Amino acid sequence: MNPWELIIQQPVTNVLIVMSHYLGDSFGLAIIALTVIVNICMFPLTLSQIRSSKAMQDLQPKIAELQKKFGKDKQKLTQEQMKLYKESGVKPAGCFITMVIQMPVWIALYQSIMLALAVAPEGLLNLSKYLYPWPIVFSVLPLDRSFLMLDLAQPNFILAILVGASMWLQQKMSTTIPSDPRQAQQSQMMLWMMPMMFALLALSFPSGLSLYWVANSVVRVVLQYRVTGWGGLRRKPAETTADTDKKYVKFDESGEKKSVDDVGADIVISDTDPDRKDIYQPSKPSKARYQPGKDRAQRRRKK
Amino acid sequence: MNLKGKWRVGRIVLLLVLMLAVCLAGFGCVKGLAPIGWSGGSISDNTLFVGTREGRLVAINLADESRLWTEPLKKVGQTGLFGCSPIMGGGCGSGSAGVAIYGTPVVYGELVYIAGYNGKIYAYNTTSLALRWVYPRESNLNPFVGGIVISGDRLYIGGEDGKVYALDAATGDPVWEFQTDDKIWGTPTLYDGKLFIGSFDKKLYALDAADGSKEWEFLTEGSIIATPLVYNDVVYIGSFDRNLYAVNVSNGSLKWQFMANNWFWAEPVVVNDVIYAPCLDNYVYTIKEENGAKIDEYELGGPVSSRPVVVNDSVIVATTKGVVYSISMTTKEVSHLADFEQDVDGPLTEYEGIVYIHTPDGSLRRINAATGAILRPISLESQN
Repeated sequence: MNPWELIIQQPVTNVLIVMSHYLGDSFGLAIIALTVIVNICMFPLTLSQIRSSKAMQDLQPKIAELQKKFGKDKQKLTQEQMKLYKESGVKPAGCFITMVIQMPVWIALYQSIMLALAVAPEGLLNLSKYLYPWPIVFSVLPLDRSFLMLDLAQPNFILAILVGASMWLQQKMSTTIPSDPRQAQQSQMMLWMMPMMFALLALSFPSGLSLYWVANSVVRVVLQYRVTGWGGLRRKPAETTADTDKKYVKFDESGEKKSVDDVGADIVISDTDPDRKDIYQPSKPSKARYQPGKDRAQRRRKK
Repeated sequence: MNLKGKWRVGRIVLLLVLMLAVCLAGFGCVKGLAPIGWSGGSISDNTLFVGTREGRLVAINLADESRLWTEPLKKVGQTGLFGCSPIMGGGCGSGSAGVAIYGTPVVYGELVYIAGYNGKIYAYNTTSLALRWVYPRESNLNPFVGGIVISGDRLYIGGEDGKVYALDAATGDPVWEFQTDDKIWGTPTLYDGKLFIGSFDKKLYALDAADGSKEWEFLTEGSIIATPLVYNDVVYIGSFDRNLYAVNVSNGSLKWQFMANNWFWAEPVVVNDVIYAPCLDNYVYTIKEENGAKIDEYELGGPVSSRPVVVNDSVIVATTKGVVYSISMTTKEVSHLADFEQDVDGPLTEYEGIVYIHTPDGSLRRINAATGAILRPISLESQN
């Protein structure tokens, strides 16, 4: 047995089997319960991921503006983006790192479910080498595969639909459609493609795995709701930030000296249609726009 | 959409395809997701019959090694969107290319019988391999994992639907059925007009072979997959509760029980009143037939799920890792015979001092039990 199997897979598999016994010999309930427990254990990481993700989304309009401004100068664009992230306290890699840390746990859970399910005779034989010498573990196997009129060893169409729907719901809540049409298109595509892909996979694999996906998505939806509310389910693309129709730079009239950390915090940016006549637009936007460094120097000279 | 936009969409699609590939590859990491089969061999008139990974029955003439195959067993049921459903004989990844065959073929008269994971039982002519009959003719039953036994023109088998079937061996017509409370993966054993079979419902059943009526049942604390061994009016059966039970044939009362550290999956063998019981805890135990006292234990470094064979004064055992050992009954010594580096889950077959082992790479491995010489393997694939 390799270290992965010894440290991760074997304990999770045995816990799953024991839980199945104490939950009325229901493997389906054991899958749901273990998914919930693992989610609770990973709550701090999940919370951090949700918050990082939200912060990143909130910055999207500003990033879009920077892209417009420095689109041709990639180096400058990167610098400005990094600056914006730093000023906003957002770590772009944070979201990814959290996902990477969580990934092994989800893989272990998936592997344990498939192991314990022992769909084929070879699977049951293979399972025997992962068992702890607990009498209860030996006696309870093979596990009962029926759950709510489902055979957890067979693909199930309804559960596959539920996989897609719950995953879409979770993604929709956590995604804000960017106002940039190009990014919005990509975002929309991801929003639909991922759930569809998992729904298709669910049609080909034992429904025990689908049950795990659905339970996981439902738990994530609840967590997402608790942290950010309905999120993307309520927001419309045009309402991603407040006052987005304004196309001017709001300078601080109080004359109080801003700290370096506040740079950019008072900028209200919009990329709505520049041809609109019903709103105020500077005749020469390039001059009126906030230019880091230049404006600050002018303000200092005035003082 | 401009060129840049198309390129971005293309990248997303490529990313999704890659993710899909990774997911599918990752799912294959769990061993035992798809059925492969572990059919043993049976020999009659110098011809060895074995079920292949392609879902065919092959007859090998041991004199000239010529081979004859049946048509592949017909796949049925759900195969999933990508053909990946492990159910009803479909398979993907490392699974069987055809219908998985677990039971060892049985030769009786001029017919050879085999049961498939597709839920059908087939009877072929031994010489031409022409299909004589199939049961059921139209639909499919639940998968068959256990093997067939035949006696007195009757064929007996247990299915995943928990039923024991008795058929007319000549025509395939059903004679009687007996329902247990859970799946049956084990092969029945006939002795003195009684049919013994274990079930996932943790019971060993003794049925009247004539009409299928239950004579007695013996409850263990774990599911039963092993094939019962009957010797001197006692049934020996391994259970998932890690015990090997000795049960009296006459009334189903317990004679003794012996506990190991894992499941007793394979059928034991008995020689000179000594039981050789292979176990998944990496040991083969020798136990006194009369009282269940342990005589010895042999550590083999891997679980044993295949029925051993007795050749002269040795018991030949193969671990699931493909390592073959010989246990001498006289010197009590274990000697290493071969390492095939292939899973060995099905029963071994012996004929004229040669041990035949069916491995998942689609070949029949051969060892001379007396000398330990490894003979050239015989391919079971019809394409080779």
